[in-house]
Amino acid sequence: MVSFAAEPIVRLGFFSVTNAFLDTLLVDAFLIGLIIAVNKNMSKIPGILQNIIEIMTEGFYSLAQSVAGERAAKIFPFFTSFFIFILVANWTGLIPGISAVGFYEDHKLIPFFRAATSDFNVTLALALVSAFATHIMSINTIGIKGYLSRYFSLNPIYLFIGFLEITSEITKVISLSFRLFGNIFAGEIVLGTVATIFAFLFPLPFLMLEVVVGLVQALVFSMLTMAFMAILTTPHHEEAKEVSTHAV
Amino acid sequence: MEILKNFGFDPVMLVAQIINFLIIFYLLKRFLYKPVFEMLKKRQDTISNSLKQAEEIKITLEKTIEEEKKILLKAQNEGKNIIDEARLQAIEIAKEIEENAKKQTEKMIVEARQQIEYESKEVESQISEKVSILASEMLTKSLEGIFSAKEQKQILNKSFKQIKKVN
Repeated sequence: MVSFAAEPIVRLGFFSVTNAFLDTLLVDAFLIGLIIAVNKNMSKIPGILQNIIEIMTEGFYSLAQSVAGERAAKIFPFFTSFFIFILVANWTGLIPGISAVGFYEDHKLIPFFRAATSDFNVTLALALVSAFATHIMSINTIGIKGYLSRYFSLNPIYLFIGFLEITSEITKVISLSFRLFGNIFAGEIVLGTVATIFAFLFPLPFLMLEVVVGLVQALVFSMLTMAFMAILTTPHHEEAKEVSTHAV
Repeated sequence: MEILKNFGFDPVMLVAQIINFLIIFYLLKRFLYKPVFEMLKKRQDTISNSLKQAEEIKITLEKTIEEEKKILLKAQNEGKNIIDEARLQAIEIAKEIEENAKKQTEKMIVEARQQIEYESKEVESQISEKVSILASEMLTKSLEGIFSAKEQKQILNKSFKQIKKVN
């Protein structure tokens, strides 16, 4: 049975190298390889890989534009990076046989690799980066005064709303990290359980399901980040105007 | 905090993962999105330049066709003018030739008439001479037995005078 916490493989002083961390390095290696491959064969007449990357880039950029308008150029790198990183991290855990390679410890198989996003540290790190980036972008776009006016006001009603906003910022981090962790970790458990029932063919539909779950979760995380960034980079009074316009 | 520990929360790992993601984010932004956007922009520029060039070529082609039409029309008009002028000239030349021919014919006719008149007169004088000779011979022959030589001479002179009067 897969444990909540990622299993340590090696201990380097105070730093414990876990199987999820090794998977993160695997994801890094894949992404760096992708960057090198794309840059090496970059030309005006694109190859298959460049074509895929260009279609993805253009698609994501137009999506960011439809959500964030003029601020798309700032939001796009975060949105796309979260999507690519999480997608690859989710799917590395689905490589057939990856969780079967490891070592035994107390009659229990410890795999060398485990989907990076099935480790809470990874999802929390991603959620924290998302939250910090959102707030820094908000300050840069609408200014410190506009940013603080969202949370603090002399008007007691707005002050209360500000308190709710601060609470929602904390819950955003919790929901982002636990949603991703929960879905991918649950997938790992489902696949492990199904494989123990019958190892051949039977896990295939579940594997396909997890492929879709991995894609959907990557999209959900990145889309939510983009939405939060779009909301927080909109000045508070303009947001109120938009709300009233929609109400009319 | 205990709940987080149950989920495997490790502050050192959290920081490591944050740093890791930030590095990957920078690499993707600097070495993937930027070159891809630059390439897309370059391609877009090439396409717009090509479209612009195509538009310019189209305009030039339209101008050339227009000019060609003008030149053709001008040439047609010039050709028509030349043909018309040539036709007029031909008509004038034909008229001139006809007039010349007429004049020449008239001249020839006048000359022929003069020639005929002259020749007729010549023939007439020759005939009258011959007739005179014949008549004198006939008269001499018929007078030979009847009149003397002197009388014959007088009659003959008289007759010649008479004939000359008639002519």
